[in-house]
Amino acid sequence: MKFYFALWYAKILGWVINRVSKDRGTNLPGEKALKIDPSFVKNFKNLDYGNVIFITGTNGKSTTTNLIAHILKENGKKIISNIEGANLLGGIATILAKESTFTGKLKADYFVFETDERYLPLIYAQLPAENMLITNLQKDQVQRNGDPDFIYRKLASFINKGMTLFLNNEEPRSKSFECMDDHSVYYGVQKHQESFIKGTDYPTLACPECHHDIQFDYYNTDNVGPFHCGSCGNASEKNPDYEITDINFNEKTFRLRDVVFDMPYDLPFMFYNYAGALAISQELCGISPVEAAKSFKNFKNIGGRFEELKFKEKTIKYTRIKQENPDTLQSALNVIAFDPQEKMVAFGLNVVEDFTPYYTNTFYAYDCDFKPLVDSKVERYLCFSEHASYDTANRLLYEGVSREAITIMDSDDITKIFEIIDEVKSNNIYLITKLATFENMKKFIEGGKSNG
Amino acid sequence: MDKILKIGWLFPNTLNLHGDRGNILAMKAEGNRRGYRVEVYQITLDSQNFNPMDYDFLFCAPGEMVHFPEIIRFLTLYKKALIAFIENRPLLVTGTSIGLFADKIARSDGYIIPGLNILKIKCTENNAVYGDDLFFDCHYNGKEMSIIGSQIQMMNLEILEETPFGYLKYGYGNTGSTKQEGVINGKGIFTNTLGPLLVCNPWLTEEILNLIDLNKGISNWQIKRDNTLEEQSLKTKVDFIKNKKTALTNTTMGE
Repeated sequence: MKFYFALWYAKILGWVINRVSKDRGTNLPGEKALKIDPSFVKNFKNLDYGNVIFITGTNGKSTTTNLIAHILKENGKKIISNIEGANLLGGIATILAKESTFTGKLKADYFVFETDERYLPLIYAQLPAENMLITNLQKDQVQRNGDPDFIYRKLASFINKGMTLFLNNEEPRSKSFECMDDHSVYYGVQKHQESFIKGTDYPTLACPECHHDIQFDYYNTDNVGPFHCGSCGNASEKNPDYEITDINFNEKTFRLRDVVFDMPYDLPFMFYNYAGALAISQELCGISPVEAAKSFKNFKNIGGRFEELKFKEKTIKYTRIKQENPDTLQSALNVIAFDPQEKMVAFGLNVVEDFTPYYTNTFYAYDCDFKPLVDSKVERYLCFSEHASYDTANRLLYEGVSREAITIMDSDDITKIFEIIDEVKSNNIYLITKLATFENMKKFIEGGKSNG
Repeated sequence: MDKILKIGWLFPNTLNLHGDRGNILAMKAEGNRRGYRVEVYQITLDSQNFNPMDYDFLFCAPGEMVHFPEIIRFLTLYKKALIAFIENRPLLVTGTSIGLFADKIARSDGYIIPGLNILKIKCTENNAVYGDDLFFDCHYNGKEMSIIGSQIQMMNLEILEETPFGYLKYGYGNTGSTKQEGVINGKGIFTNTLGPLLVCNPWLTEEILNLIDLNKGISNWQIKRDNTLEEQSLKTKVDFIKNKKTALTNTTMGE
């Protein structure tokens, strides 16, 4: 009976919130339902765990989930998914409550859930999915997670022989889960024109098998690429089950098993999302690459990390990074470095404000290789933010940028940022900062103050 | 004849968490400024015939504890040499890797990792991670200085018979309940300050280089480094610390 009260309460609360704002209410109804019935998620009916898929990992969860959901829908499958991104137990409880009947019955071909890696053991305890895709396990949110092994142990605590894992073939930590499951499906990406190498003074990581050094042949995206351990022989598969090949940046296409796909976004870190989504589609849902290819023509990613603003004659290309996450910063730097045009680069690395205590950590910038950026045509650098601008500037100085090429502004004053952008010759402006600052800049422009 | 500065970077791939290579960049830059040809050697688990005394400076970054048993197995062969090294030469150990030098590390799941037993400290892995700014005063090579940085604390470090490296003005430090920060043993610095410590605090880098100069019989470098940028950085971060919300009660700078 507790379950029904919780379900009805969640449904009513969800309906009310939805009337107020369509963008809200992805967590709250589920959280409240779980207060009433702590086993709420466990009690839904018609849930075949063999058709439940978790998408987890440090980076790329949302895009992969969105793409799988899109491919499945375009191919006539009925799915239930948390594509709005509420990826904790409360978010999953909310979507299940919303999609179920008043008696808790669910009807769907597949259940595709983005899941927060830290809280996955709690989610699994109520929803023992038999399928899981791991995007990658990287340094991220160190204030919360400490180190990647902290998350590794969380996942290892519930992965079992009854599961099928879809593993990133070229990310050593993710691939090492292969020994814990019943069946591993590997997905990967062939070398492409934006693959890169880093200097030998950039550390790699320890082999998950023997603790000696992992060596990468090259990187397709930061810390992901064909690898091997010289000590124990642990290595990426030469021929992963699903490999994206023939990536063509000019024509915006790639191939999988001789099928040509339109490439909706030519961003290297997304290639692994494409490969993983195609592996799930074929292997679990029986959608062939030919059938899946049609859905790539109209895929729009929700909540992407790139946006453009127009300011006078200038185009401001914004890249959202996850602070404390060197891989997203490296990806952003690489995108800028591959632009052959002259440019200005504005860095607004900031205080980390995930939860109390806020702190001034920018040390992840030292894991990133700035050299390709510095070697590309940069007219001027702007380092802004009240408490991290000097450290950001110092990172550039250690990469050989002259002090004269850097403007330091120890504030987040939007007007001043635009003044400095206005002063440079280049109309090609790149911006890396937190979302709140970017949103303020957007409002500034939309408010008409940019005509000044 | 070239002045050569040899840096030994201990297990850079196995112990690699928080942008720690910034410390190598800082040592190289300051060494170059003083006219040294700086050579950086990466010591790995596959290195043969490691001899600490071949180096002027050793650096050991923090790492995941899961790799510690292999590291300790390797370093145990060189325990006496490491003890001799820190009598006069600078060693910098940061974060969790301080535990390598303890008698043992007690992991949160009850597993015990036997350590090198060079430091008389007790290391216990915490169940939760604590991340925050860190600000303290310390002495090194006879100079008093303030250090600013970040801390991601995964273990408590209780001093049994050692001297703290510094005393906190703000931060969690060794246990979150005292003002002790890190340990100093001989010329070895063991600190919870992570990431580019020597970039953000060039005054410490200068003292490490002064010590290296002294060990080599070279008179101290007289041309002062321009630390304006780092001083401005320190000031703005201290201003931030003074005004931020914190639950720490061992230090008084925060609210």
